[in-house]
Amino acid sequence: MIIGRDLTRIYGMGAVQVRALNGVSVKIQKGEFVGIMGPSGSGKSTLLHMFGLLDRPTSGSILIDGSDVGTLDERARTQFRLRRLGYVFQDYALVPELTAKENVYLPSMTRGMTAQECTLACSDILTLVGLGDRIHHLPGQMSGGEQQRVAIARALVNRPTLLLADEPCANLDSQNSRIILDLFQRLNRDLHQTIVMVSHEEWHKRYFDRIISMKDGVIEKEERRSEGGKPAPSP
Amino acid sequence: MFEESKVAFFLAKRSIVRGNKGTLSLTILIIGMVFVNLIFLPSIITGVAVLFNQQSIDYSYGNLVIEPKKNQVYINSVSELQKKLERIPGITGVSTRYVTSATIVYKGNVVTPALYAIKPGDEQSVLKIGTKVSSGSYLADGDTGHIVLGYRLAGNEDEKLDVISSLGGVDVGKVVDVTFNNGVTRQYRIKGIVTSNSYSVDSNAFITKKEYEDVFGLEDRANQILVRTRETGKENEMRNTLLSYGFQEKIWTWQEKSANFLNQIIGSFNIINLIGTAVSLVIAIVVIFIVIFINTVYRRKQIGILKAIGIDRSIIIKSYLFQALFIFAIGTIMGCAFLLMILQLLAANPIVFPGGPVAPVVDPALILRSTMSLLVVSLIAGYVPAWITTREDILTAIRG
Ligand SMILES: Nc1ncnc2c1ncn2[C@@H]1O[C@H](COP(=O)(O)OP(=O)(O)OP(=O)(O)O)[C@@H](O)[C@H]1O
Ligand SMILES: [Mg+2]
Repeated sequence: MIIGRDLTRIYGMGAVQVRALNGVSVKIQKGEFVGIMGPSGSGKSTLLHMFGLLDRPTSGSILIDGSDVGTLDERARTQFRLRRLGYVFQDYALVPELTAKENVYLPSMTRGMTAQECTLACSDILTLVGLGDRIHHLPGQMSGGEQQRVAIARALVNRPTLLLADEPCANLDSQNSRIILDLFQRLNRDLHQTIVMVSHEEWHKRYFDRIISMKDGVIEKEERRSEGGKPAPSP
Repeated sequence: MFEESKVAFFLAKRSIVRGNKGTLSLTILIIGMVFVNLIFLPSIITGVAVLFNQQSIDYSYGNLVIEPKKNQVYINSVSELQKKLERIPGITGVSTRYVTSATIVYKGNVVTPALYAIKPGDEQSVLKIGTKVSSGSYLADGDTGHIVLGYRLAGNEDEKLDVISSLGGVDVGKVVDVTFNNGVTRQYRIKGIVTSNSYSVDSNAFITKKEYEDVFGLEDRANQILVRTRETGKENEMRNTLLSYGFQEKIWTWQEKSANFLNQIIGSFNIINLIGTAVSLVIAIVVIFIVIFINTVYRRKQIGILKAIGIDRSIIIKSYLFQALFIFAIGTIMGCAFLLMILQLLAANPIVFPGGPVAPVVDPALILRSTMSLLVVSLIAGYVPAWITTREDILTAIRG
């Protein structure tokens, strides 16, 4: 369970201050698929960075599975990101000199898994994202959709507590977007993967269990979709 | 720690194998050249020093030089001393001689060279001058009325070719007038001309000790004794041995005798060499620094992403250190290959210095020192830019 309490993030401590987050309290239950939506500049990415331990709040606290991540030093935060979090970026952000498999391999190797364990985990996860046959391609030889799936595999390989994705479909056409969203849904339903995803596409809404709408650095409203009433995604 | 290095090595390897080969090869080439530069000039200088040292031993001093006690002009009872010396283990040759100066005149050319009065047989057990006769023949024991000249002293008919003031091109068989510093003048027939490439030999003159003693009315004396030892480099030990045998004369090593001349040359060479080394190392550090720096700056975003997904900064820095190490290692190996090629080329076409052909002497300690300094330089040049770039905040880096 992830709890954010009274989070603020103020940019520019001088005369002109931007309150990117202005008192956000939020709880994300284990196994939830949460969408964060809202207009541009409303603070969606800023909030996700807090969860992803990529930035520190100006005030407020974040608890992930009971540990107050604000108290960790840089090295411990890096370790936390490695072992507990998976982050998917808008522009895939793969290492260009590594093949799909090696990109996925990297976090598990860093974690100290043996070569055998890594290989096994990699092929499992790449099969899961539907790239079993392209594992030896370099990012430059893959489509955007494929690269994003590699990035998702990389985020998942260490079995993170929380998968974070900041507009993962922004660079993809609707067909590829759907592949990604279907994949997220599958991960969420079958593996009970907790996912927090930022989006501003209306049609993504139907994938989320809960939608947090932000505006001007605060949560404007929250919609919960009941399990039964959730409309199935249309192909 | 080990895990980190493993990941860093993995990243570095992929980056080298799949990265830009052009830049990498050029960088390696430059490091190779720097390596050659670090080794080559000092090797030539050492080669020159070795040549000059060997010449000092072979043509001027042998290993040890014994000279009269303080306030005395001659060493007395030299034949007895000589026998004593020859019995000391490790001594292979002893030459008793007089060193003086004389005025030599031939057809109006007047020169005042150093004149060595030697026992040819003994002299040849210490020095190699006797093997460097370019025309005529060397002195023999018992010769009187004969003189041997260095080729520079003999000179050329065309004065412009002379390096020192000469006798204007005398040949073997001609007769010269020699005035000793006791005023006696005698005539000597030129028996041979020596061309040794050793400056002191080629500018001077030689007669027999017997002749000299006749002129001066001396017997069983000398003002210099040259000693050749089996091993070079143990002169100080040998001097101590001689002292322990009760010798009271002044004993010099060949290094002491030739110190000033050689030290000056080597000293100036070493300054040049130091500048060359410093410049080379600066080039190496700058080149590697720039390559790694551009590499990291160009990958700013990627570095941010790696940190974001939980790859520790130290791993990223290490991966650049590995890349710098790779450049260093291959560069050094290439440099060695270049160097071998150059050495082979020089073996076939040696550089001829005044004094003879110089073979570069590659000192293993020099190779070790150069390799170590290049290694240190590479590590610094890899570490600093990686440290600077990875210091950046994750989000700033990712935004680009
Ligand atoms: N480094 C920064 N320095 C100053 N202001 C910043 C910085 N990063 C973000 N902001 C400001 O914080 C606010 C929230 O930014 P954020 O990136 O979270 O918005 P967003 O909801 O993700 O928008 P978008 O949909 O365009 O991605 C914006 O007004 C933005 O200008
Ligand atoms: Mg955003």
